This record gives sequence, structure tokens and C-alpha cells, in this order.
Amino acid sequence: MNVPILPTTSVGSFPKPDYLKKARLQLSRGEIKEKKLRELEERATKDWIHFQEEIGIDILVDGEMYRGDMVTYFAETLKGFEISGLVRSYGNRYYRKPVVVDEVKRAKPMTIEWFQFAQRLTKKPVKGMLTGPYTIMDWSFNEYYGSRRDLTLALAGVIHEEAVDLEKAGAQYIQIDEPAVSVRPEELPLAVEAMGVVTKGLKAKTLTHICYGDFEKIYPGMLDIPVDQIDLELSNSSFNLLELFKKHPFTKEIGLGVVDVHSHVLETKAQVVDRIEKALEVFRPEQIYVDPDCGLKTREVQEAKDKLRVIVEATKEVRKGLVSAGSVGGKL
Amino acid sequence: MLTVSTVSHYPKIGDSLEEQLLRRTYAQFDRKEVDLAHVERTKDEVTRQVIQEQIDAGVELITDGQIRWNDAITYIAGKMKGFELTGLLRYFDTNTFYRQPICKAELTSPESLLVKDFQFANAISSVPVKAVLTGPFTIARLSQDKHYKDFEVFALKLAAILGEEVKRLAQVGATVFHFDDPALLWFKKEKAVFKKIWTKLASYFPENIETILFLNFGDLKGIYPEIQDLPFTTLGLDLATETENWEVLESTPCTKKLLAGIVDARNTKMETEEELQGKLEKLLAIVSPENLSVSPSHGLEFLPRASAKKKLANLAKVVREFREAKVKT
Repeated sequence: MNVPILPTTSVGSFPKPDYLKKARLQLSRGEIKEKKLRELEERATKDWIHFQEEIGIDILVDGEMYRGDMVTYFAETLKGFEISGLVRSYGNRYYRKPVVVDEVKRAKPMTIEWFQFAQRLTKKPVKGMLTGPYTIMDWSFNEYYGSRRDLTLALAGVIHEEAVDLEKAGAQYIQIDEPAVSVRPEELPLAVEAMGVVTKGLKAKTLTHICYGDFEKIYPGMLDIPVDQIDLELSNSSFNLLELFKKHPFTKEIGLGVVDVHSHVLETKAQVVDRIEKALEVFRPEQIYVDPDCGLKTREVQEAKDKLRVIVEATKEVRKGLVSAGSVGGKL
Repeated sequence: MLTVSTVSHYPKIGDSLEEQLLRRTYAQFDRKEVDLAHVERTKDEVTRQVIQEQIDAGVELITDGQIRWNDAITYIAGKMKGFELTGLLRYFDTNTFYRQPICKAELTSPESLLVKDFQFANAISSVPVKAVLTGPFTIARLSQDKHYKDFEVFALKLAAILGEEVKRLAQVGATVFHFDDPALLWFKKEKAVFKKIWTKLASYFPENIETILFLNFGDLKGIYPEIQDLPFTTLGLDLATETENWEVLESTPCTKKLLAGIVDARNTKMETEEELQGKLEKLLAIVSPENLSVSPSHGLEFLPRASAKKKLANLAKVVREFREAKVKT
């Protein structure tokens, strides 16, 4: 995996450009055909891939132009789900929460075509992006399975099938997001067990993204999640988590969230440099991947671009410092 | 006897164009197409809609649906002086979030927090309206205190502010006060502090009001029966998803009125009529019908609006038939 020290990347989603938002609305009203929407999703994906290349991001994402919500997208494609009416998550943000009404099965691959489309556009690695079984379970209504565990393990099986297909399609990085893991400490062992099913036998680098929870309750237990890297939002909590990692070493690679995705305010380069340097007091440089706190889809397109740019510029500056201090060798 | 009630929030939007009014208006506001006064009028309109929906479903004691609230914490804390709202945190084990308030100065509440909202709802509703407040312990636990630097002092201050608010609300006609104070069930070891805070809060209560302490997001093991020593009139709890609460209640006689959350407000799976009837029978072995009311286990905003409506109507129908059958026998 040919990436520099402190590789820069993204958590997954980017904001959809206005023409795509409009087209999604038009499709829902029956004013355009799916083919037209697909064309625009491809156009937006190309634009985001080119933007990431242009500013020098190291590990790319497709930006999820074709996904509405990280759980609903999978539920819409899997058998056994129906989609409910809208429920609110925060502020004016709503999503259609899936409802499990039958046995969960994968009818067809869910992300492979889009992964291949994005990867063909760049020589840099594109991450395969999945939502984890525990989170899909926790964010769905369950009208079929007898317990949360039964549903989680059924989902783990189908997400594993998808991960295997992503690897076959050439994915060097497979991210399995589990933001719900931080919610119920008593269910961490279930999430660990389910992730074990998902990542079993994979050779690709595996990572998971966890956010917005009380990490003190699941740390260091969360280090048992069988992935190579855990990606965390650190800016939202003013980097307080680092204190926790000082007490008990973080034994995996870390995806280091350095910009707040829920704020219009653009971080300065100096702020981001400071955050990375703080992290370097706790982690070895080789452990760190630099990215935003979470998916950037909550921001306007320009805000997201500005935040990504500041991440790249700040990371480059820290890298220079590391090399000149002799802390690491290799290319910048 | 045996009444049907709602608790805290109600879905702000639904699937129809008309039910999407608030979401559309916020989006228009973000695009600067409408002003704040327009947004406020829309909140009034949606409050009117959800009040009518609760009444149409057969609810006999309603809330205003908390249409104006973004979450359980920041609506109240944001109106107090001394708090600053910061990063997003998850609200208990839900997939909803709140902005954590940080207390940075002496807390005051020079103006009323909820009087206008209550008056609006009370004036348009044909059935009684509860005043809903988030409890002082929960606001304190889910906030950060950088000013008082002592949890008890901080929480007692919140209790005093909320106590003053109860007085203000009582002056404009509120008689039933519903306190959501679920954090106790996540911090059971702090029950002694909780008791002090609630004693302080209750010292502001006027006479002849009903005060509901509603505890969900956990079970009452280790809390009940002691909790009954506190100065409130009605104990509310989740008897839909917290199965252990049944054992807890059956272990010691209930000396308070009971608000039993017997409909699961966090899953779309519909309760059968038999299931609900069975629960009512069990409850009547614990308290007398005069002292029993039933509700969903939580606010209904965790459900899509269509589901929420259906569940409420189902509950009201079962209760109505149950009452009629009891009267006949």
C-alpha cells in the first residue's frame, strides 16, 4: 500500500451538489428516470474523485453520491427489509429508518459496481465502504428476529459476503462503519463478535469508524474489534479522548478526525497542525491516518472542500516537520 | 379511571406534503427565503396539528408534542443564562443527538422557559395539557459544569430554576407537570443526590398539582421502592421494553399513582390488543384503576408519524373497550 506517512483520507460521505439533490427529488416525484439520476451520480462521483486527486488526498472515497443514508442504502438493497416513514436524528435531519420484516439475505452485491466505477477513475486507492451489522441492527426497527443478537449475526453474514466481493474487486481498504458501537457498552462483545464474522479471512486493510458516544465506557474494550484501524471523531470532543489513550495505549492504527463536520466554521491550518501534533504525543506517526471527524455530507460542497484542503495542507506541514526531525524516513 | 396519556415529544413531520411543513420551513429559513417570525408561526401551526392528532387518536391528557424542542436538553438549557451549547452528543442509547451545554457562569432564568408554549397549547386543546420539563438531574448529568465545580451545587441550582418555572406555569393554569428525568437510571449510584435535588425541586411545588416523575431508558432495579419516598405524585416508567420493571413493580406495593408506558415507542412492531389487555390486567393487580394511566414508553418521535398515530389509536381503543367491559362487570 503505497501511501506516505500520515496518509490523508475521508470518512465516507461528501455533500451532494445541488443538481444531484434536485434530481433525487425529481426522481421521487417521478419527473425523471433512474437512468438520468445515475448519470448525475456518476458525474458527481467523478467530480469528487478529481477534487480529491487535485488537492492530494492519499486514500480516496467515492463520496457516496448514490446513497441517501448509511443504513437505509443497505436496507433498500437487502431482502427482508422494508423502509419506514421519516424519523429525525438531529435538527432538521431526517432519515427513513429500515424495518426488518423477514429473514435478511443479500440478493445481489450492493457496493461493488460503484467501487469499481470510482477505482477506475484514479490510480490512488479507493476505500470500499460498508455499514457494520451492529449499526444496521441498532438503527432499524426489528419486527422479525427474536433478539438483537439474532438480527446482528444475520446481518454480519451478509456484510461479510459484500466485504469478500469488495476484496475480489480490488479494494485494498475496507471500512465497516459502526457508529452505534459506542452506545451500549454491554453490547460491545456482540459488536466485536459480529465484526469478527465480517472481517474473517480478509487480506485487505480493515477499519471501522465510531462516533458520538461515551468512549470512556467502551475503552479499551473497543480495541478488541477485529479490524486494523479505528477511525474516531476527535475534534467534536476537543481532542479530550487523547487523555484516555494516554492511560491505556491505543494498540491499533487510528483514523484521526481533525475537523468538525457539524460546524460551518473552517478550521485554520494552524489549528489542524496543532491537533495532529497533539496526537503525535500519543501515537506513533505510522499509526495515524488523518481525516475529518465523520462523513462530510452535512456540510455545503464548498465548506467540505475547504475542510479537506486544510486537512491536506496541515498534514503536509506536519510531515515535513517529521522528516526534518528525522522521526520518519521515506517520501512526503 | 384508567386514562390514556402521551409523554414528551411527538413526530414533527410525517410522510404527506402537509405533514412536512416544518421541515420545509426550516430549509426555506436556511436559504433565507423566510424570516424567523415565519418559522415561529409554522411551529404554532404544527403544534396545532399534533395536538389535534393526539386528541383524534383518543388521548385524554396530551403534551404540546415539543415541536419547538430540538432535543430534551438544549431547549431548556439554551434559554437559561450561564450555559453555552457545544458539540453533539448522543442522547442515551438512541440515534438522536443533543448539543451539550457547558455551564460557564452563574445560572439564571430571568424569563420563563415554557410559559408561552404552555399557554398556546392549553388555549387550543380541548383536552387537558401536561407541562413537560426535563428533570434537573438529567440536565445536570448531560451537561458539563465548569462554573460551580460541584455536581450537587450545580444540580440544586437547576432544581431551583425549574422549581420557579413550575410556579410560573401553575400561575397560568398548569396542573399536571411531567418531568422526564431518565438519567437516574444510568447513574443509579447517585440516588442520594437525586433525592436531595428532587426535595429541592418539590419545595417549589404549589399545592394540588400532579407531578409525574417519568423514568425510562433503563429499569428501576435498585431504585424502587425507595423512589416512592420522593415528593411526587405519579411514577412513570417503561413497561414495554424494560421487562424487569414488571418484577420490580410486583415486588413491593406501589404507593404512588402509576403512569405505565405499555406501548413500545421505539419499535414499529404493533402491539396486539390481547397483549395490551393482558398488561392492563396485570397493572390493575398493582394499582387501582383510579391511580392508573397508560402511555407509550417514550416520546413518540423515535417512530415515523404514521406508526405513532396508529400505536396511540390502538392503545386508546384497547383502554376504551377495557373500561367499558369493566363498567359492565
